[in-house]
Amino acid sequence: MLAENRSVRFSFPNVIQLVKLNTSVFVLALCLALCLAFGGCEKSPAPKFRLNEVEILKQEKASLPQDEHFAESYDEEINAVLTSLFGTPESPKFPYLEGDEDEAHEFVNFDDLKWAAGRVHSDREGRPISGLYREHCSHCHGITGDGAGPTAAFLNPYPRDFRLSKFKFKSTPLRRSPTDHDMEMILRNGIPGTAMPSFRTLPDDEIKALIHYVKYLTIRGQLERMLISELSSLEGEPLMDMSFVPDGDLVAALVKLEADEDSDDEEEVEPTEEQEAFEEQLDYVLNELLLEGPLTRWSDPEDSVTEIPEVPEAIAASHPDHAALVDKGREVFFAKGNCAQCHGETAMGDGQTASYDDWTNDWIKSAGVDPTDKKTYKDFTDAGALKPRAIRPRNLRLPVYRGGGQPQNLYLRILNGIEGTPMPAGATLTEEEIWALVAYVKWLPYEHADKVKPKMVNNKAIAR
Amino acid sequence: MKSNFTLALLLAAIILPQSLTAQEAATESKPAAAADQGEWGHLTGTVTVDGDVAAAKEEAVGDHADKAACLVDGKVPLDDNVLVNSENKGLADVYVIMYLKKKKDPAIHPSYLAKKAEPVVLDNVNCRFVPHATFVRTGQKLILKNSDAVGHNCHITTFNNEHNPNIPANSETEVKFDTEDSRPGNVTCDLHKWMDSVIFIRDNPYVAITDADGKFTIENLPAGEWDFQFWHKKVGYLKKLSIENQKVSKKGVTTVTIAAGETADLGTMKLPAKAIK
Repeated sequence: MLAENRSVRFSFPNVIQLVKLNTSVFVLALCLALCLAFGGCEKSPAPKFRLNEVEILKQEKASLPQDEHFAESYDEEINAVLTSLFGTPESPKFPYLEGDEDEAHEFVNFDDLKWAAGRVHSDREGRPISGLYREHCSHCHGITGDGAGPTAAFLNPYPRDFRLSKFKFKSTPLRRSPTDHDMEMILRNGIPGTAMPSFRTLPDDEIKALIHYVKYLTIRGQLERMLISELSSLEGEPLMDMSFVPDGDLVAALVKLEADEDSDDEEEVEPTEEQEAFEEQLDYVLNELLLEGPLTRWSDPEDSVTEIPEVPEAIAASHPDHAALVDKGREVFFAKGNCAQCHGETAMGDGQTASYDDWTNDWIKSAGVDPTDKKTYKDFTDAGALKPRAIRPRNLRLPVYRGGGQPQNLYLRILNGIEGTPMPAGATLTEEEIWALVAYVKWLPYEHADKVKPKMVNNKAIAR
Repeated sequence: MKSNFTLALLLAAIILPQSLTAQEAATESKPAAAADQGEWGHLTGTVTVDGDVAAAKEEAVGDHADKAACLVDGKVPLDDNVLVNSENKGLADVYVIMYLKKKKDPAIHPSYLAKKAEPVVLDNVNCRFVPHATFVRTGQKLILKNSDAVGHNCHITTFNNEHNPNIPANSETEVKFDTEDSRPGNVTCDLHKWMDSVIFIRDNPYVAITDADGKFTIENLPAGEWDFQFWHKKVGYLKKLSIENQKVSKKGVTTVTIAAGETADLGTMKLPAKAIK
C-alpha cells in the first residue's frame, strides 16, 4: 500500500512534464494505458444466465441443518439441464417436447426468441438483427429475467423478476397467465408511477418478439425453481446424470426413450440401475415438472379471461346519477369492500403499510429473517436478493393507475385482485358494487380530503 | 323389459345431474368398477413427537386496530402451527398423502363421490383459520367463511393455485381449484399478519390430516402396494419419522401394502422433536 502511494507521488512530476512536452502524445498514451488496464483488447465475454442463488439458499435453510449447503455439483447439474432445454442468452433453445407439432410453438415462437436474444445488432437500415431484449429490457430486468439488472437496485418499485411467473396487470384471474394482449398493453403503455417506460415506438413485430422472449425467460425461471426445490429430496442421487446424454440434448433423449417404450422390440440389453434412474428422472423433469407445470400454464390463457360487463353510463361525472354512484362506492369502500383497512381512511395509501409483495415474501418468510433487520437477511442479499421494501397500498387520491385508468381496468383490479400483492379479489361484491367503487376511486382525486369516512350505522353510510 | 331399461336410463339421466355432473359420475365410478368389487382396505396410524417441543408463543397481534376482535377469552391466542397433545404426544396437522410419482392414478371408491359433493369449510374465527389444516379436492367447493366482526382476506398460495378473496365481516364466499399440487401451500390474511394455515389440493381423495391425538385414517383404498408421504408445515417431509418395520425415505415416503377388507396399522410413529423447526 505504502509503495503504491509513493509511486503515485513520484510519477506526478513526470506526468506534468509530459503534458508540457506534448499533450496529444500524452492523451494517446493515457488512452492506451487505460484501455489495456481495464478492457484489454478483447471483446468482453458473452453474458450468461445467472443461477437462482436466492432460491437455493432458501431451500437450504428450509431443509438442511444450519450453515450446511447442497453439494456444488448440483449447481452444475441445474445449469446443464437448463442449458440443454433453454440454451444460452446468445443462442436460445426451447423444449418443444412434441417437435414441430408441439402447441408450445403458439406461445413461444422460436424465430421471435432468436430475434430477441443475443447481442444488440442491426443492419444498415437500422433494423435489428438480434438483441431486442438486451437493447430494451435487460438493464432493469437482467439478462436472466431475474429483475436484477444493473439499474434494478436504484428503482422503486424494483423491476419485475419473471421467474416467479406472477404478473400484476392482466385480464385473467390470479395464477392464470396473462394473455399476449395483456403483455402488449404493458409494453405499449408502460406502467405509470414506475420506471417501466412505454415502448410504443417499437413496431408490432418487435413487441411480439419481446413478449415471447419474456415468456421464455419466465418458463425457464419457473423450471429452475422447480429443479431447486427437488434438491432437498434427492438422497445424494444426481439431479440429472448428464453422462447418459453425450450430445447434451435432453429433449431428444426423452423422444428416444418414449419411442423405445412404445416399440415392441425384444429387450436388447438389460438397463443398469443408473440408466433406469436417469430415465425415470428425465421423464419426471420433462413430463411432470415442465409439461404439467409451466408449459400447461402458458397454453391458452385466453380461455380464462374475465368478462367485463358494460360500463354504466353513470360513471361519467357529467351524468345525473354520478353523485349517487359515488356515494354508493364510498359506502362499499368503508364497509363491505374492506378497502380502507389498507388504503387508509383518507384513501391515501396509509392504512396497512407493513406488507411485502410475493417476490419479497418468497424469501423473507424463511426462518429467522426479519425484513426490517439487515443482519438477519444479509446472506440473502449476498446471494443476489434486493433489499426488502414494504409494498405501499396505492394512494388513490393520485390519479395514477399502474394497470391503466379506464373503468374496465379498475373493474378487473377490484374483481380479480392483483397477483403477487395483498390486494384481494372482490369476490363477495356484486357487479353494481364494483362499478360504484370504480366511480368512487375515479372521483377520489377530485374530492375534498376532509370529506372522507361517512358516518356508518350498521354498515350503512347515513346521509350527512 | 327393454322399455323398463330405457325408463331406468331416462330416470338416471334426470336424477344424476342434480347432484353432480354426468362427466364426474363417469370418471369417478369407472375405475371403481374396473377394480375388483370389494377390493378395498384402510390405513391408519398415529404420529407422535419424541422429545420436548418448545412452548408455543403468543401470536404477534401487537396493537392491531382489530385486536379486540382477535382475542380468545380476552387473551392473545397462542401460535397454532405446532400442536402436540400433552397426553399422548400426538402431533396434529400432519398430512398423509398417497404418493404417486411414476404410479397410475388409483381407483376411487364410490363412497368418495358423495364426499366430494359436500363443500369443505375454512372459517375465520377470532382472527384464526379454523381448521388449521385443510384438504380439498380439485373441483370440490371450498367455502371461505368469516365469522368475525372484522374483515379478512383469505390469501391461498400454493405452487399451482392462488386465490385471494376479500371476505367482509360475517360473510362467506366460495372458490374451486382445477389444478392439483404436489405439496401443501399457505393460507394467510394480509390484514392480520399472524394468521397462517395450510391447505392441500389434490385430484384423488386419499389424503388424511392427523387429528389432535396425532391419529389419522384413510378409508377405502384400493388393495395393493401404495406409497404414502408424510408432511407437516414446520417439518417439511417427515424424513426422520420412525415407523416400526417400515423404511421412510428422505421425501418422507413409506411403502404400505393394503389388503382387501383389512386395515393396515402403522402403529405409533415417532418423530424426533428436533425435526420441528
